[in-house]
Amino acid sequence: MSDQLVTVLDWIAILCLLAGALLSVVAAVGLIRFPDLLSRMHTAAKPQVLGMLLVLVGIGLRLAPVEETNVFNVGTLLLVGLFQVVTIPVAGHIAARVGYRTGRIREDLLVRDDLAERLARKREEDSARRAE
Amino acid sequence: MTAQNVGKAGKRAGATALRRRLGKVQIPVALGMTLVWLLLFNGFQWRWESLGLFVLGFLVSVAIMLVFPLPPITPGFRLHPLPLAHLVLHIIGKMFTASFRVTAQVFSPGEVRSSVVAVPMRTQSDLMLVCTAIASSIIPGTVIVEVSRDEWILYVHVLGAADDAGIEEGVRDVMVLERLLVRALGTREDIETLEAASPSGKESA
Repeated sequence: MSDQLVTVLDWIAILCLLAGALLSVVAAVGLIRFPDLLSRMHTAAKPQVLGMLLVLVGIGLRLAPVEETNVFNVGTLLLVGLFQVVTIPVAGHIAARVGYRTGRIREDLLVRDDLAERLARKREEDSARRAE
Repeated sequence: MTAQNVGKAGKRAGATALRRRLGKVQIPVALGMTLVWLLLFNGFQWRWESLGLFVLGFLVSVAIMLVFPLPPITPGFRLHPLPLAHLVLHIIGKMFTASFRVTAQVFSPGEVRSSVVAVPMRTQSDLMLVCTAIASSIIPGTVIVEVSRDEWILYVHVLGAADDAGIEEGVRDVMVLERLLVRALGTREDIETLEAASPSGKESA
């Protein structure tokens, strides 16, 4: 590859890395600033996904022109991205669900809550069944 | 019964058990695992070792499925290339715009109010439900709090949905995702169920 192309790729890579790092900082600020668990889940799991993907793209662009690397290659980065994207929602969902079910949320911040209605309905059904 | 007969019966039982386990090996899943193996060990190069890596990876995948058999994915999925590209572009675009919105919410003063909204799913496939949940989870601003499988409802926490318009938008976003996903990965029955449940493009207006 020509030197010019490599330089251009390097600059794009730098931009991606910086943008990714910036998004991670935003996520950290959000963690401190948001008041309750559910809102914090958003920043804990989210800008960070895009941030991580951008960092991976940046690393990939830096790696691509290099002919021979020992362990890392673009395939490894693909795998990292794939498994992060698939596993982050699972962790986020479990944390949110446990937090919600154990009452560690602030109801005053919720404008509408369909799930509370459903849980209340279920509890009523259960107690009715037990009474029979 | 002599000891020899017992030994034979045991061997036969072992053979049928092995055959049953071999029947549980799903070739597409094994190929997917082989792909992961190749990515791990840099197998995508034109050289003779790649062929060996492929065979080895396939054998390892089959061995894993023999030791840890899992129920098959029913009814499975089909790849539709063009809708899949549409879906990926949609998710990436949404990730960027939603990241900006969440960033703005992080730095705007005052408390952010949100809603937990029930989103009824139109698909009747477990796989599509899971994929929709994952896709809406990686897009900033929505977190799945609860999945009700028997009623096909996702309970979504929408950040910053403080009024009816915001709630409406959150529900519509998830439903658009569901439609794109079913079109990209669903079997023909999945797509038909979805189109029957709501006419095309209704929620994406």
